[in-house]
Amino acid sequence: MADDTQHDPKRINAAPTKEFFIYMLTRDVQLSRAILDLVDNSVDGAQRLRGGGRYDGLWVRVEVSRDFFKVSDNCGGIPVERAREHAFRFGRPKEAKDTPGSVGLFGVGMKRTFFKLGRFFSVNSRCKTEAFTLSVDVDDWINAETNDGPDDWHFKFTTVDESLPEVPEEETGTIIEVTKLLSSVADSFHLESFQQQLVKELSAAHAVSVDRGLAITVNQLPLEHLPQKLFVSNELKPAYVEKIYPRQQIDGKEGEPVRVKLYAGIAERSYHDGGWYVFCNGRLILKADKTSVTTWGDPNGMRQYHADLAFFRGFAYFDSLHSVLLPWTTTKTGVDSDSPLYKVVQREMIELTKPVLTFLTELARQRDADNEGDWSDKRLETALATAQATRTEQITAQNLFTAPKPQPRPPGPKMQKIQYSKTMEEIEIAKARLNVKSLKEVGEKTFEYYMEYEGGE
Amino acid sequence: MPPSYRAINYGVRPAKAVERKMMGEAFRRLHPFQRIEEYRYVGFGSIYFADFQLVHCALGVEDMVSIEKDEEAEECFRFNKPYRSIDLRFGQSNRVLPELDWSKRTILWLDYDGKLDIPGLADIDTFCSRCTSGSMIIVSVNAQAESELTEEERKKIESETGEKFDASAHRLRQLVGLIGEKVPPGTQGADLRGKGVANIFRRVIQNQIEEQLIVRNSLLMPSEKFLYRQIFNFLYKDGAQMLTVGGMIFKVADQPLFEACAFDRLPFVKTGEHPYNIRVPCLTPREIRHLNSQLPCNDWKQLQAPGVPASDLEKFSEVYRYFPSFTEAPLS
Repeated sequence: MADDTQHDPKRINAAPTKEFFIYMLTRDVQLSRAILDLVDNSVDGAQRLRGGGRYDGLWVRVEVSRDFFKVSDNCGGIPVERAREHAFRFGRPKEAKDTPGSVGLFGVGMKRTFFKLGRFFSVNSRCKTEAFTLSVDVDDWINAETNDGPDDWHFKFTTVDESLPEVPEEETGTIIEVTKLLSSVADSFHLESFQQQLVKELSAAHAVSVDRGLAITVNQLPLEHLPQKLFVSNELKPAYVEKIYPRQQIDGKEGEPVRVKLYAGIAERSYHDGGWYVFCNGRLILKADKTSVTTWGDPNGMRQYHADLAFFRGFAYFDSLHSVLLPWTTTKTGVDSDSPLYKVVQREMIELTKPVLTFLTELARQRDADNEGDWSDKRLETALATAQATRTEQITAQNLFTAPKPQPRPPGPKMQKIQYSKTMEEIEIAKARLNVKSLKEVGEKTFEYYMEYEGGE
Repeated sequence: MPPSYRAINYGVRPAKAVERKMMGEAFRRLHPFQRIEEYRYVGFGSIYFADFQLVHCALGVEDMVSIEKDEEAEECFRFNKPYRSIDLRFGQSNRVLPELDWSKRTILWLDYDGKLDIPGLADIDTFCSRCTSGSMIIVSVNAQAESELTEEERKKIESETGEKFDASAHRLRQLVGLIGEKVPPGTQGADLRGKGVANIFRRVIQNQIEEQLIVRNSLLMPSEKFLYRQIFNFLYKDGAQMLTVGGMIFKVADQPLFEACAFDRLPFVKTGEHPYNIRVPCLTPREIRHLNSQLPCNDWKQLQAPGVPASDLEKFSEVYRYFPSFTEAPLS
């Protein structure tokens, strides 16, 4: 390359450097997110093995410590051909075969994680009839030169064998290890709070896979099981719609469509957990979103998220065999809000959300009226209290959000509560004189007494 | 404050009555899409239901939905409902519209009392993302420019903003308060005087419709994509300055049907930024009868009525077919 530049005076060198690549790749991904990317590869392995079926018997083990990082799985291993041609390339080559319904898609995740964590990594893969090992010292790789100049971008298998006697599925898998950890990474890995955060993020991100039976652990601790639930009763039903968007309309090509399931409704009150959850091929990419990226605020003609709305939950599941059609960003930490598909679905999300917010606003109003001592329609509160938290996949009837509408306030004067404090001694005297038992009666009788003598015209 | 329907009897606002009749004439032209009787009409009937009288009596529409935000007075609205087939829905339009079935061709008239605001734009969103080809949307809003402030009000604003009072900046701030980031680029406070507000509101409504259609169209085949064509752009005053804009939404494939409606043959149809000003002269029943007997005629200058100013003759010649007839009479 360098020679060519010298020979052709018109040629300008625009080739990237490895240092730049490492710097750029790693700077916009959070540490815990980088680890999630590796687990995504394992989940894709499980998807290749089982298709749409259950993942029982499959596991992914993540270990983090001050000295090393390791993720191992029994999810089928990485085929040699795949490793040789695609898996370690920077970016997904055009001819690379998709894992149908995969969550790893941009061809950056695995390398980015290695570089983010440390300066030495090894990959050990066993498929049914083939296996390979690979060890890379990153500093050596940066300095590696080829015969025709600097910048050899290749890795080299340490061992590779493509014709081994067949082993059963449960003996296949991948072990990835990173050592020579960067010091800030080693410090984080040592923190229990980091390990806890990792468990939480993995639990949320892979809730759907865990639900399908995949056993994921972090330092031997299993993930929390977090199925998505909404309140359901005869009176209170979440909105649920299913949409199919033909591939032809998304990128003009033939192929399987994108399937979208949307749920919007009510769940346990939690300011923190309220909002929208967006999944692509089962991977959570947006958690409890309270911004205009989903349905909130002026840009969408909606109210801002607010404490009264903390009962709200929305779940959007995008699924496709062609993961590139889905509206996710390369870090899988958000939706690509410029995607036409996402914009169309976002409109649906907004329309489904509106009736839920109206119900919650009315609920808050009834509560206020009740607190002030005025009449309130208790049916809204009852509907909430009697509903059962139900997992989204058990909600199958498509319909709009249903909830009781408040009755108009019956005619009659508007009532208001009065509150004040008096010494217990005085209250006891009043109780005795009025011949009543409760404090409420003391208040009412003394007020009535005043009104009788002083409240006239 | 009493509800607006108690402050004003909507039935006797003459310019509004003219506008309603003009729109009725335009609705009649929808037949290339389907029989007008089979359209659904969705509006805000209030307690007078004047628009419902028009679409039912004059056009034969039976499927009608009236949205009423004043839930407390439900009984009163039920009592005043003029026809059995009107489906009364209580609640803010923001709540009711998403709950309607949008598979039917609809004429939606969002006839707001107040100014254009974010919830109003959200209603437009709902319609544009759901309506079927051949549906019509009409939006009426108060487009009165902010009145001059008293010295006291100015002082208050100065203390809030920490800056010397500037009428232009104040007008712009009011607008931002209503529609936030939907204010068109380049809008100045000076654009918000007189009829300027109406012009800005029309642009905002148009932008909103187009923005929604772009999203809706992004995954549709070329012939399935939706277009919006403005038909109405009325300005009138029965007190405050009012703006009514609206038009049709239809698929590219249905363009010939839209052309067949020939809305442009109607003199009051305005497809661009220049509005049709509805001006209703104040005339006695006798003068009206006398002038009607001379109409139609090609040149309003030929019209004659003792003592009626020429400007009123011109106004009358434009609106006589839609002229409201108000009179005091025992109905029982």
